[in-house]
Amino acid sequence: MTMLRLYLLLFRASVRSRMQYKLNFLLSSGLAAFINLMEFLLIAIILQRFGDIKGWSLYEIGYLYSVLLLSRAIYRILASDVHHIEKYLVGGELDQLLTRPIPVLLALMTQNVTILLGEVIQGTVLLVLCFQGLLAAGQIGWLAIPQTALVILAGSVILFAIGLLSATAGFWLTRVRDLQNITEDAARNAAQYPLVLYPGWLRMILLTLVPVGFANYVPALYILRGEYGPWLLLVSTAAAVLLLWVSFRFWRLGLSRYQSAGS
Amino acid sequence: MLFAVLARKAYARNLQYRGSHLLNTIASSLFGFVYVSIWIGVGDNRTLGEYGVDGMVSYVAFNQACLWLTVFLTNGLGLETAVRSGQVSLDLMRPVHLFYVLMSREWGQLLYQLLYKVVPIYLLYVLALGIRMPERPVTWLWTILALALASYLSICIQYLIGVCALWTTESRWLVWVNIALSQLLSGFLIPLEWLPGWLQTVSRATFYPFLQYMPTRIYLEMEGPNVLAGTIGWCLVMTVLCLGITRLVRRKVEVQGG
Repeated sequence: MTMLRLYLLLFRASVRSRMQYKLNFLLSSGLAAFINLMEFLLIAIILQRFGDIKGWSLYEIGYLYSVLLLSRAIYRILASDVHHIEKYLVGGELDQLLTRPIPVLLALMTQNVTILLGEVIQGTVLLVLCFQGLLAAGQIGWLAIPQTALVILAGSVILFAIGLLSATAGFWLTRVRDLQNITEDAARNAAQYPLVLYPGWLRMILLTLVPVGFANYVPALYILRGEYGPWLLLVSTAAAVLLLWVSFRFWRLGLSRYQSAGS
Repeated sequence: MLFAVLARKAYARNLQYRGSHLLNTIASSLFGFVYVSIWIGVGDNRTLGEYGVDGMVSYVAFNQACLWLTVFLTNGLGLETAVRSGQVSLDLMRPVHLFYVLMSREWGQLLYQLLYKVVPIYLLYVLALGIRMPERPVTWLWTILALALASYLSICIQYLIGVCALWTTESRWLVWVNIALSQLLSGFLIPLEWLPGWLQTVSRATFYPFLQYMPTRIYLEMEGPNVLAGTIGWCLVMTVLCLGITRLVRRKVEVQGG
């Protein structure tokens, strides 16, 4: 409980300090939304022209896309600098965090907190549009809304765990940005689209090695298409809990091996 | 010769990070692979016009390989960092033109990216996806020329972005706007003729098609060398802009760092 209070306190302080640069905040939010929009626009244009991709409609792909976007936004807002650990490892700034009387991970999560307003707005708008379309077509019922909320939360835990695992690798590698490029950026980019598009080996990787597929694709199979059964939601929640546990253990191991690299 | 020295230094500096760049190359080829898979999915029960599924796979894969020559350059040619640290004031004092110095350096950077990113990604796609190769040898010449001109065009764009750092602290965002616009307008994922009409009009009014669409069409032998006239035209326009704006820059410089 104390940890949570501490976290909230540090989180608020960090947001306040960042909000001193209002123009910067508004500009970055607007542009982030614009850039994400462009990316989705490309897929929307393809689907508008050709109808569907391997049986997946625009609404369904928009659902996969926006669910993952929201999960990622939650992860990156609540665990800000976990993703930017390289800066701390290379510059030796992690030493400073080690001297603080709070867990290093907690300190890292509350540094430079950025409210990713652009992503949140764009993800929400897109998700609402897709919901409308899917509800109107009778493909899903109202129950899908709370289910999706659960999926987004579990997804953010999964993305956080993958992010933490990658960040922890930095204790051995120091330069970890390029690894994150594969485990976070490339994997997420792939999971924005239905996994059925990919050959077996890539699908396998996205469900085991970098299990980002559990964040949207697996639960969507049930929510959108009624395949398998409601236990798919349980599977993805269980995957989230398991991954979180593994990532915490790995983080502790990594931290105990930390050797300062700064000068 | 100054050009060669600057280019060589920029090239050599990159060699230090070959290992971590390898991971980056893997990530980049995975991105491309996702786009290829999308088109294979779309082409599941359709013919995909003059390209065919095969052609679209080649189109998207070749585009992805070229990104490191035509889009992913040094952000603002490093001008933003130079303004932050105050280094730019020294750079402007040198007896060489600022644009010339930065351009020379960037060519070294691009040579590195060509050898360690573009060629490996391209070869990987040739092996793994069996993408099309030109049938006529002369096509190689035109493709290389188109890519070289596109690289120069891109250097000019980055220079103009970088120069904005002298007037605003938010110039970094222009880098992202440029990437987003180029994704949409350069025909990188969707051939221009398949964009909605209004977007085609917008696209054709800009230099973006000459960065990706045209070089790739030339490579696929769907376009002759005559389209290079357009690239050359844009290169001239952008060069004039770059030189003109440098004059403006030299009048008054404010640096942020110290």
